[in-house]
Amino acid sequence: MTPTEPTAISPSTPSTAKVAFVLERYGVLVAFGGLILWNAVFSSGASTFRDPTNLRNILNQNAATGIVAVGMTLVIVVGGIDLSVGSIMALAGASAILIMNSLLASGMSEWTAVACAGSIAIAIGLACGALNGLLVTLGRLPAFIATLGGLSAFRSITLAIADGGELRADATEVLTLIGRGGIPLVPGSLIGRSTALVVYWNILLFFAIAILGEIILSRSRFGRHVVAVGGNETAARYSAIPVNRVRLITYVLIGGLASVAGLILTARNNSMSSSQLGLLMELDAIAAVVIGGTSMAGGRGRVWGTVLGVLILAIINNMLVVAEVSPYWQGCVKGAIIVLAVLIQRGRR
Amino acid sequence: MRPVEPPQVAVEVDGIIKDFPATRALDGVTLAFGKGEVHGLIGENGAGKSTLMRILAGLLKPDAGAVRVGGRTVSVGSVAEANALGIAMIHQELNLVGSLTVAENIFLGREPRTMGFVRRRRMEALAASLLVHVGASVDPGAVVERLSVAEQQLVEIAKALAADATFLIMDEPTAVLSARETKALFSLIRRLAASGVSIVYISHLLPEVLALCTRISVLRDGKLVTTLLPRDTSESSLASLMVGRELSDVFPPKRLPPVDVAPALELRSLCVEPTVFDVSLTVAPGEIVGLAGLVGSGRTESAEAVVGLRDVGRGQVRVFGLDVSFRDPREALATGVAYVSEDRKGRGVHLDMSCVANVTLAHLGAYGRFFPNTAREQSAARRWVDRLAIRAPDITAPIRTLSGGNQQKFAVAKWLDANPRIVILDEPTRGIDLGAKREMYRLIAELASQGLACLVISSELPELLGLCHRIVVMRQGRTVGVVGEGEMTEERIMHLAAGVDAAPRPSA
Repeated sequence: MTPTEPTAISPSTPSTAKVAFVLERYGVLVAFGGLILWNAVFSSGASTFRDPTNLRNILNQNAATGIVAVGMTLVIVVGGIDLSVGSIMALAGASAILIMNSLLASGMSEWTAVACAGSIAIAIGLACGALNGLLVTLGRLPAFIATLGGLSAFRSITLAIADGGELRADATEVLTLIGRGGIPLVPGSLIGRSTALVVYWNILLFFAIAILGEIILSRSRFGRHVVAVGGNETAARYSAIPVNRVRLITYVLIGGLASVAGLILTARNNSMSSSQLGLLMELDAIAAVVIGGTSMAGGRGRVWGTVLGVLILAIINNMLVVAEVSPYWQGCVKGAIIVLAVLIQRGRR
Repeated sequence: MRPVEPPQVAVEVDGIIKDFPATRALDGVTLAFGKGEVHGLIGENGAGKSTLMRILAGLLKPDAGAVRVGGRTVSVGSVAEANALGIAMIHQELNLVGSLTVAENIFLGREPRTMGFVRRRRMEALAASLLVHVGASVDPGAVVERLSVAEQQLVEIAKALAADATFLIMDEPTAVLSARETKALFSLIRRLAASGVSIVYISHLLPEVLALCTRISVLRDGKLVTTLLPRDTSESSLASLMVGRELSDVFPPKRLPPVDVAPALELRSLCVEPTVFDVSLTVAPGEIVGLAGLVGSGRTESAEAVVGLRDVGRGQVRVFGLDVSFRDPREALATGVAYVSEDRKGRGVHLDMSCVANVTLAHLGAYGRFFPNTAREQSAARRWVDRLAIRAPDITAPIRTLSGGNQQKFAVAKWLDANPRIVILDEPTRGIDLGAKREMYRLIAELASQGLACLVISSELPELLGLCHRIVVMRQGRTVGVVGEGEMTEERIMHLAAGVDAAPRPSA
């Protein structure tokens, strides 16, 4: 390396500017570390929190949100937003059950029926995303408006095909294997138990998608294009970047991810509620993205931050539940955290 | 060449130090600006001119040193505080609200009101008189984003005047102005100075500085080199003070243009609604063709139409003999045509992305189909840093942290890195210093000698004269003449561009 580099990197004097810079960039990591430290070491309920089963359950309850939030990160970095994710989740869940039930009725084996229904549901999610993306790119609608339309329409379609009620799967064996099964990943000897801890499939899926998302955003050509389009769309167009294609792909991706999240929740319960599944998911996902340090203005963001954002919200929720705080107050705490996170990370101008 | 003292001090800086993460931008600058003087401030990119002025304008806080206004030490913590002290800055990069009208921008935050309601008519009347004052013929009710860059610049100046500024900082105000507009601005500056307004005039155009300013200060590497009277110095001695060494010829020797080569780029009666009516020109491989014309003559629009950024109406674009109709710059680049925009901040670079990412952005696929090879990207960026002598302490830092001139070099490097066969450079040296310009000219000449077809759009005639084999002149959306090697003079081109040629064509 060139000899000038070390001097350029090492600061001559530590200053408050450096501290502010670290806080701006790694504040979410500090907050996450602090939360873990408090809950696992200092809090009176530390041993309960530390319990591997508890940790697994926290992850299990938030895997779907996490998967959607990974997609939301890409959409927000490209300079857009997707409000329709919750409705896509519901539409995917409802169509999966309806298709599966009718395939079962026609005598198909349970495994095949689940596989077919799942694939079609994911295709529907991708199509919903493509529709959003086309409205935003070719239709030149603001993303907020286009996906607000989706939020309303996809939910409405779900209510219509489910007749506004709950849909139940006619066979539950395979769904249970998928929704509540997993692999005994953590050996019992490690955590002082007689049996190994089963890590659920959806948790593994969440981590896999998060890692993939991080690699795509920070390392891939597509990710670089996403950042460029979100940072300055005009300059991106002038820089020979296929702006519309890049934006379209992010919406298709989040559509697919939202349907996967919807399927996870549907499989876990062997059923779905057409009015409740995925309700307000867009807000949770956006909150996680923002807490994770991604700029709402686009052009700047990271998936790992979003993952920590999901976990921070999950842990705080867990704390509130353990402390028996009324659920009515939980939204207030969440709101305060979102605002605080942005205030800290806003940076100095 | 003895430093001189001003008659009556208006604003003074004393021992100003300013550190940025990787560099010391100002290293103890002490300087006094007199009342009613036009003070030229010159120096290379990154010498600290803009940083010093941003401190006076309340945009930056110095790490050490004092600012005194009228002998009193003041703290200029914000633009509002600067304005209250009578200090206003007209930025190199425009700072207007695009969606508001001219009048609304001029009186932004100071709208004439009656009982809380904006007196629109009065505002527009006041704006109109200010616009006349600065020599701009724009409608006060026009939306700013529809105006040309030059017109926006004039609105910016009118806005500062509307704020009753007594200390006016102008950062490269003429970079986007035509010769006529520049002349009008200079007489305006002189009028203002005569009425007691102090003006700090930052420019890279040394003849301008020598003609306009009453005193000239030279900055180099964050330090004040000296302050001089224009009559005690010359262009070449100022240039060597700026760079700290003698500068040899600015322009590289012209190589003979290729003879009888089929054109690489050919425009035939190109028409681009609503400003370009009839543009025809050719550029051969290895040839450097200049495109001259006043601001608003349709040069940029023609270039943008070539690479698919605007719709071509009538007429043809031919690349290596084939009719093409690119839908976007991507298609154009795939055929080897690159366009380097004149608007560096808005279109040329991504300010928040790293220098490396900017260099490779236009053809990232060459660094890996799905995953760009970071090491290769960095070595490419380093090559350009060396080749264009770019001052970038950390190429992985956002390009925002560099001075404007160094950003501009990266903006050009981005396109050259994509190995185009035809390159259209729109104001490639706008806002960069003499040393950097010299490197840019050498690079363009070298690339041309390797067979690249270069079309250079510039408002600086000496640049076109020194660099180009031929100069095509545009006026009001039409090409009105081609000036060959033997007949190149500024007068000839200006005559064609301004429409006072011996045999003028009927204008639209």
